[in-house]
Amino acid sequence: MSTGNATGRVFSVGYTLLFFAFLFGPLLIMSATAFNSSSFPRITPWECFTTDWFGVLISNTRLMQGLVTSIIIGVGVVAISVPLGLAGALALAEITPSLRSALYTVLITPVLIPGVVLGISTIVFWGDLGRSLGGGFSTLFFNGIFLTVIGQVTFIAAYAMLIFSARLQRFDPTLTEAALDLGATPGQAFRKILLPFLRPAIGSAAFLTLLASFENYNTTVFTILADNTFTTALASKVRYGTDPSLSALAVIIIAVTLIGAIVHEAYTRRGEALVAGPAKSGLYANRLGRLAVHPLTVFALLVGLAGFAVYGGMHHESGACQGRIMEGKRAEQERLIEEQQRRMKENAARPQAPAAGSAPGNPSPFGGAFGNVGPAAPPAPAAPAPSGSAPGNPSPFGGAFGNVGPATPSVPAAPPASMPPAGPASSGSAPGNPSPFGGAFGNVAPGAPAPPP
Amino acid sequence: MNAVARIFRDFSGKHGLGVALYIGIGVLVWVIVLITLPQLAMLDYSFRNNLPPPMRGGEADVYTLVNYRYFLFGGGDGLNTLDMWVLGKTILAAVVVTFIDVLLCYPIAFILAHSATGVAARLMVLGLIVPFWVNEILRAFAFRVIFGATGLINGIGLGLGLWDAPVDFIRADVALYSSLTYSYILLMVFPIYNAVEALDRNQIEAARDMGAAWWRVHWRIVLPVAKPGIASGATIVFMLTAGALAAPQILGGPSNLWFTQLIYQWFNDAGDWARGSAYAIILLFTCLAFVLLMMKVFKVPIGAIGR
Repeated sequence: MSTGNATGRVFSVGYTLLFFAFLFGPLLIMSATAFNSSSFPRITPWECFTTDWFGVLISNTRLMQGLVTSIIIGVGVVAISVPLGLAGALALAEITPSLRSALYTVLITPVLIPGVVLGISTIVFWGDLGRSLGGGFSTLFFNGIFLTVIGQVTFIAAYAMLIFSARLQRFDPTLTEAALDLGATPGQAFRKILLPFLRPAIGSAAFLTLLASFENYNTTVFTILADNTFTTALASKVRYGTDPSLSALAVIIIAVTLIGAIVHEAYTRRGEALVAGPAKSGLYANRLGRLAVHPLTVFALLVGLAGFAVYGGMHHESGACQGRIMEGKRAEQERLIEEQQRRMKENAARPQAPAAGSAPGNPSPFGGAFGNVGPAAPPAPAAPAPSGSAPGNPSPFGGAFGNVGPATPSVPAAPPASMPPAGPASSGSAPGNPSPFGGAFGNVAPGAPAPPP
Repeated sequence: MNAVARIFRDFSGKHGLGVALYIGIGVLVWVIVLITLPQLAMLDYSFRNNLPPPMRGGEADVYTLVNYRYFLFGGGDGLNTLDMWVLGKTILAAVVVTFIDVLLCYPIAFILAHSATGVAARLMVLGLIVPFWVNEILRAFAFRVIFGATGLINGIGLGLGLWDAPVDFIRADVALYSSLTYSYILLMVFPIYNAVEALDRNQIEAARDMGAAWWRVHWRIVLPVAKPGIASGATIVFMLTAGALAAPQILGGPSNLWFTQLIYQWFNDAGDWARGSAYAIILLFTCLAFVLLMMKVFKVPIGAIGR
């Protein structure tokens, strides 16, 4: 192997790894957020391992009702688009080439047309038709489920057609001719020769169309009218506020997908091994190995694993940990309030002493910067840190602008009002503070004008 | 009509009358009732005034260009630069996303077709398909988790002190473009893969033996073979991106609209179906014109799409 080839190899492996990291990274990150007790979907900071979001997901009635609607629609779409796709593929396979490309263009266009356009044209057309037939709003023409099925079939049937076309290309037409020669009627030849040949394609077309129907948003959001499918309910939930129960949903979908994919892989492998003959591959050579990689075994194993995970998850109690987090937050808050009060007292006693922003151990890059922006305030050592830059403060702005109020001039008994009370801003910089600005501007209240001595 | 009757007789002779009826009716219903008539109804609607149902068919129900006029000139006299800019930006962004997808997917398709073997190839195919099975909404949501103000990247960046304030990736549309690029990868990889797979490996070897550099091998030998696949994938990705609605709704910045969102607003917020139809027609024809133009530029026949 030449060096050029070796670098090529390294490049391909590296690129492939990066590519799949891009493909799976977002999914993994999203899945991880399903187990964080933080009420916003995120990984940093990690609070508690919890499985509560799955419960939240299941108790979301809007989503669950949408799921039922989606299943009804999906069944309708499969029932219509698979036969339509088959008809289209058969027609394409046997007409003259010039007509074929015209028909192909017409049938494939709905796949390319924006789904929004399809949805609009569907409701406009059927609405017009309903009105001209004198149908009211309770008729089929204004029924969201019916319209969605029709709108989705328009382009999903083309997916089925593509699958059937691919399969038909491998069909040997002499088989049908042989059947006809042997005395079969054309109908019999179709049922006994062509349909059985297409059966695997029917299966995959049904699966793909169901999936496409379930996933569709762009067309459905128009045709469903006032109703909701699973996907539209999901979309409105994502748009108007998110919580990790969506990540929990992603975990479920990914798990189901992975199980399906692995079982399917085992199934095709087994088929290939059976075709290739025994003793071809190590695992299939002996009985035990064959049993171990049988798709049913694999399926049972994976489902068992998933069931175990669900059972474990249902009995996982994160309340204690969450309680600790809450307790920690409250304690931190109280500590900050106390500190603030003490500081106010000290300020009252020793007015020249502004807070020194840079407490030791402050991790913030800006900690203490501008800590003391007030004009002409004499430095004073040994002042307690302002609340913003408390040690362990995660905020990047912690303590920045810590004390920006116009410095109180040296007035002996400045009123405590020159320091704002421990408001939400200062308590906000507790560890685990969700706000990235926590503590910033902590104390920016304009200092009260000093009263004349 | 004669041609249709002849085709019907052919089918009936070959598969029997029942099957011929099924195919004939199926295709006709699909082409006429599902595809053609709704599009015509929408086209018709786009030339009408937005009238309440009782006034339909009355005197006021005349054909008008007011909806298209609105797109060009807005309510006032000046040009409706806002909506036109949204359309232009949508097309431009879709082109950028498509281009990035071609760059990302061409190497993977080539590796999958010519370097990966056995288990690795199977794993790659599985790995390509699995993310595609996750709902489109959830895929967009994942990018919100990553790019949000309290998201992963901001969390890491702030934690390491790389930047001081959370960067608003949502407003900068970084999240949106990443998500769109991510969403349609599969639809780009497989057409290119199908095209590249047909290439005889010996041609690559021969070119190498003659001393061609790797980029020259790709430029002169692999790319010409891959071209129909790239055109097919690019068309699909471009149309889907330009017509995307969910990702812009979820990840779009507050002041940054996608053209489909304008259509959605006319329909669902303003209740003006006529104008919504007109905007949908505008989007449709702009996209189709653009795709056809690109096919002319790159000399690709339309029959290559979807193969």
